Amino acid sequence: MTLRGCAPGTHARIQRITTDAQDRLRLAELGFVRGAEVRVIGRGATGGLLLALGDARVAVDDATAHAVDIEPAPAASHA
Amino acid sequence: MPDPRTPVLTPACCPTPEHTRTAGAPVVALVGNPNVGKSTLFNALTGARRHVGNWPGKTVQVARGTWPPASGTPVDLADLPGTYSLVPRSPDEELTRDLLVDPGAEGRPDLVVVTADAANLARNLYLLAEILETGVRCVVALTMTDVARARGITVDEASLARELGVPVIPVVPRRRQGLDALARAVRKELDHAVREEGDVRRPARPFHLAVPQGDDPELAAAEARYAWVHEVLAVVRTQRAGAGLTLSDRVDRVLTSRWFGIPAFLAAMWGVFTATTTLAKPLQDGLGAFVDGPVTDSATSALSGAPGWLRGLLVDGLIGGVGQLLTFVPLMVIMFVLLALLEDSGYMARAAFVVDRLMRRLGLPGRAFLPIIVGFGCNVPALAGLRILGNRRQRLLVGMIIPYVSCSARLTVYVLFAAVFFGSTAGTVVFAMYLLSVLLVVGIGMLLRKTLFRELRGEALVLELPPYRLPTLRVVGAQTWQKLAGFLRTAAGVIVATVTAVWLLSAIPLGAASGTSFGETPIEHSVFGALSRAAAPAFAPAGFDDWHAAAALGTGFVAKEAVVATVAQTYSADEPDHPDHAGELGTRLHETFERSSGGHPLPAVLAFLVFLLAYTPCMATIATQWQEMGGRMTLLSTGIQLTVAWLLAVAVFQIGSLWW
Repeated sequence: MTLRGCAPGTHARIQRITTDAQDRLRLAELGFVRGAEVRVIGRGATGGLLLALGDARVAVDDATAHAVDIEPAPAASHA
Repeated sequence: MPDPRTPVLTPACCPTPEHTRTAGAPVVALVGNPNVGKSTLFNALTGARRHVGNWPGKTVQVARGTWPPASGTPVDLADLPGTYSLVPRSPDEELTRDLLVDPGAEGRPDLVVVTADAANLARNLYLLAEILETGVRCVVALTMTDVARARGITVDEASLARELGVPVIPVVPRRRQGLDALARAVRKELDHAVREEGDVRRPARPFHLAVPQGDDPELAAAEARYAWVHEVLAVVRTQRAGAGLTLSDRVDRVLTSRWFGIPAFLAAMWGVFTATTTLAKPLQDGLGAFVDGPVTDSATSALSGAPGWLRGLLVDGLIGGVGQLLTFVPLMVIMFVLLALLEDSGYMARAAFVVDRLMRRLGLPGRAFLPIIVGFGCNVPALAGLRILGNRRQRLLVGMIIPYVSCSARLTVYVLFAAVFFGSTAGTVVFAMYLLSVLLVVGIGMLLRKTLFRELRGEALVLELPPYRLPTLRVVGAQTWQKLAGFLRTAAGVIVATVTAVWLLSAIPLGAASGTSFGETPIEHSVFGALSRAAAPAFAPAGFDDWHAAAALGTGFVAKEAVVATVAQTYSADEPDHPDHAGELGTRLHETFERSSGGHPLPAVLAFLVFLLAYTPCMATIATQWQEMGGRMTLLSTGIQLTVAWLLAVAVFQIGSLWW
């Protein structure tokens, strides 16, 4: 299951990221690491997702969202 | 036991035991993530005592200033480019990394003030972890505590300082709160540094050494740092329960949504475009009229006793050049204010997200939309707007295609020629020019990406959206002034010098036959006239081998606004009051193009207009490109423009004359 298909409001836990090494490191530096929790805030006008990662808000395009493998996480917990 | 693994963040060579000290004032660097109030803090600390310039030996622009922290000698404060990590992806980030990681680096800071955003602490602590690994002495300035509080987040500074082992000072630079405490902490640390000189600190937290060896050590180190970050957060950060969607989130659900995202984006861009055209126009006209009127008049009367050539040089040359420069000032101020407003409010990042997919299809970064749209008003502020692009190579790429965006000054020429030659279909011709402009932007952009910019791959969009904020006057004002000063420093000389040079060339008589003296020569018998005559044959394959056309293109190189005036001047006809009633000028233009094209005037005029669209927009564009992209790329860009313009013009005439 990847982030791409997630509806706004979904809470998820990151399992792994399948982009190339350079993008993976860039995502990791922003906090997209194994075990981190993300929440889908909304969808962009021309695609892409608006995500909450802890206190930060990060926009990603569809291809990147598709490269984030996730598992559903309980809504109440905080990263 | 010695560790065999390659350290990620320390240079390959051995660290030298003593770090290099610059003579004189100690160097303090501000380092932090983008959008955490770093530059606001810098401006609040240095006030007016600052300047922006390239870091010695680099093309990276850094703001530096003097800051007197508490008592004692002032320090040299440098606002290093914002970065998320010390693994660099651009020359800007590389500078920050080199200065912090390499103990022998020239200008290495004696101390680093790290800004950390209390409302988004995790990601800021990540960078801090990397900085602590370098062993550089640092003080943390905790910003955005007010934003955090409003969201129910509390950060305990005392326990944060304990966890990190460095001083933590909460600051609100917009309200000048905490600046004195920061000054005292920095002074104290600097004094420590002097006492302990020679004693290099060991890296405090060597995550890059503590991680298991894998196929991607950098990724493993990143995960280890985040694990540490979350341990620290658990101790220092508390959040009131029930915090769900913030106000920013709610606004974003509308402003970036499928239904309202594009209309909101178009409305914002319409505002930017209107402001840089309609709003700027009366200000530009007013300044122009002031220079042409009172200033010129009083200069003329003050110089009444002086010889005619001197009066001409000073009034028509020098003052004319300054006047032309001044008309750009309102435009640049408006552009810089808008940029600062869009950035500071947080909307710029949303706009880039909204159009990312569309721009990606064109092979351009999402943020490039703004300079391109502004370019339809004027290319000069568009080039200045390149700074919103984080990556230097992207800036160069977009900077090289902006000149093909048809600015409003070019429109005046299209309108005159289209009205004279195409009558009722003039509108279609003008529209076709704009269509061609868009095609050129896309086409040249693709061509450049396939050749000079092959390494620019379609980057993944991972864009941080800062919370919406009300922009403050102080921040917007400071940023506008900083950028305007930079523009004036670079562009002023070039613009004034070129206008003066063109005046000189058209004032020097050539050949005995002219029988006139310096400053009173008809343009036809001047050096400028002779140069135009010499250049004209180059346009024979495009159907306009004629000195009038070449002279118009010559002044168009300086400013497209001057083309219509030059056309009128070369025919010794009055500039038409209204382009639709070109009168005698129209008849003479018809004759010229009829002759030069061998009976195919329409394709020749189209070729002329196409050349005018695609070649160098104006001297001010070159000056701004020079400032933003450097001399080499500017010359290359100008060379490409002239080549493209000539090839297109020849193609239009050669193909067009088969039909007409």
